Amino acid sequence: MNKAITAPRRQPALHRLWQKYRFHLNILLVLIPLGFMPAYLQNAAMFRGTLGLGERDIGEFTVGPWSARVAEWHIGDPEAEGQAGNMKEFTVALCERCLPQVKAAYLRIGKPRSLRTAGALLSGSPYRLMAEVVVPRNTTAASELWLTVEGWDGSVHQTAIPLATASPSLVSWLERQPGARP
Amino acid sequence: MSKKTRAKTWFLVHSWLALPIWFFLLIVCVTGTLAVVSQEIVWLANPDIRASQPNDDAQPLSYGQVLAAIHKERPELAVEWLATPDESHFALTAQVSEPGGGTYRLYINPYSGAIQGVSPTFDFSAFTRALHGWWLVPFTNGYSWGWYLVSLLGLPMLVSLITGLVVYKRFWKGFFTPRLRFNQGARIFWGDFHRLSGIWSIWFIAVISITGTWFLIEALLSDLHISISTEGPPAFVSRQEIALTADGLAPPQLGLDQITSIAAAQIPGLDISFISMPEDAFSHYSVGGRGWYPLMYQTAEINPYTGAVAGANLLQDRSALEFVTESMRPLHTGDFGGIWIKLIWFFFGLVLSMMVLSGLLIWSKRTVQATANLAKRTQRVRPDAAATLTPASEVQP
Repeated sequence: MNKAITAPRRQPALHRLWQKYRFHLNILLVLIPLGFMPAYLQNAAMFRGTLGLGERDIGEFTVGPWSARVAEWHIGDPEAEGQAGNMKEFTVALCERCLPQVKAAYLRIGKPRSLRTAGALLSGSPYRLMAEVVVPRNTTAASELWLTVEGWDGSVHQTAIPLATASPSLVSWLERQPGARP
Repeated sequence: MSKKTRAKTWFLVHSWLALPIWFFLLIVCVTGTLAVVSQEIVWLANPDIRASQPNDDAQPLSYGQVLAAIHKERPELAVEWLATPDESHFALTAQVSEPGGGTYRLYINPYSGAIQGVSPTFDFSAFTRALHGWWLVPFTNGYSWGWYLVSLLGLPMLVSLITGLVVYKRFWKGFFTPRLRFNQGARIFWGDFHRLSGIWSIWFIAVISITGTWFLIEALLSDLHISISTEGPPAFVSRQEIALTADGLAPPQLGLDQITSIAAAQIPGLDISFISMPEDAFSHYSVGGRGWYPLMYQTAEINPYTGAVAGANLLQDRSALEFVTESMRPLHTGDFGGIWIKLIWFFFGLVLSMMVLSGLLIWSKRTVQATANLAKRTQRVRPDAAATLTPASEVQP
């Protein structure tokens, strides 16, 4: 309490400023939701799927006998999720004719060594599968995003998308990390 | 400090508490009040989400029949979940997605299975909740800072309640001799109004400020990656359990009605009001609903190929702490006992909003003068004590 008492005396200018402008805080606080309104509405439209598969379409890729459209869900830095590491979300739409034949699809940054390490399982609506992909510590701008698709017949097919194509925003984040290799 | 001065200081703390942000607090109270009845407002505005029983004998369809009805009308849709609303005058909701990625909800007549409408692009309920709950600030990394901004208000609200009861001498007498003087000027009227609505709202202000403060704690726990949940990691169907098929097509899965009857038979006390489809080849059907304790949900996971119950999160699995923390949200929103509880929450939400407004009106007519007077008087008695009065304005967050 004592600190608060003496503070205004030591900084009369700051105190005067507070006295004069404290009620203007209201205006600032009420402007916040107005400022975020367009972003909120865009986000709602994204979830509704009216803006496409994700914020940024990466393209359509052939995986064995099938094909898949891939998109970056949000452009920007990956999310830091504590011990789980840094995560980046991607969405995938398999071609409609392949839906009955495909058992599962996975995404991973870096080539998977086997089906067991194929990465994040894509799940959700069959028309817009989603996965949160871990950004491994050794990821560089030259890394690739690997899409692995497993059929109900047991066949496994893969395709690799250069990270620069899959997510330029992730590459730019990688370059900003301490100890990043040029 | 004399007893009288201390009482005056309490009074000043109470008077200045939320003042610099009074309009922010008022809008949060008003949007919260609207959010309580947002579904009812939509119900009034949009006939598509109403469900009336065609006749007294009409029985609601089972989830399996509803799913069949949707697929008959719109075979291309992928249904993600079906939910029965808490109140029977609302239509059943189905979350669906279509080729191309469009995702929305359908309003289904629970008796005929007819698709009555599609959720509008602008979701009023979700909007009022987002505005009230996190001030529309997006969740980009952990909890949104708007969430912190709003939930921090729980603290000054709690302090307002406590200081209000301290400065209102023998407030309990107000219950027996209610006083609302209309004809003695605005200051007297608003003062009476503030005190009268204040004492009748003690319970509500306590509930809202405590649960609001819990939302702050919840965000802090989540952002610090501290979990108090007793729920284990999600169960997955193991690779060995799913055989590859000779024709190269997906193996058959159990139907919704088989799933709900397995759940009803094997988990006594589980009242099913929603069912979600498996999200991929390795995940389960999820069914759930309220149990004997209306503030919490119970869920169970059921294997879509074998019908085995793979996991459940029932009331008896929860810790005592979870009973407290999971009750916080329904206590805040009032959506745990149908329309009447919502209307009580709505009414007291209005009263609380009026408390903020009447508090401001009283302040504008009185506190400015009272502060000046008290400062002057203390200065006369003990010059250095004048400084202790200044912090009253510094107490608010």
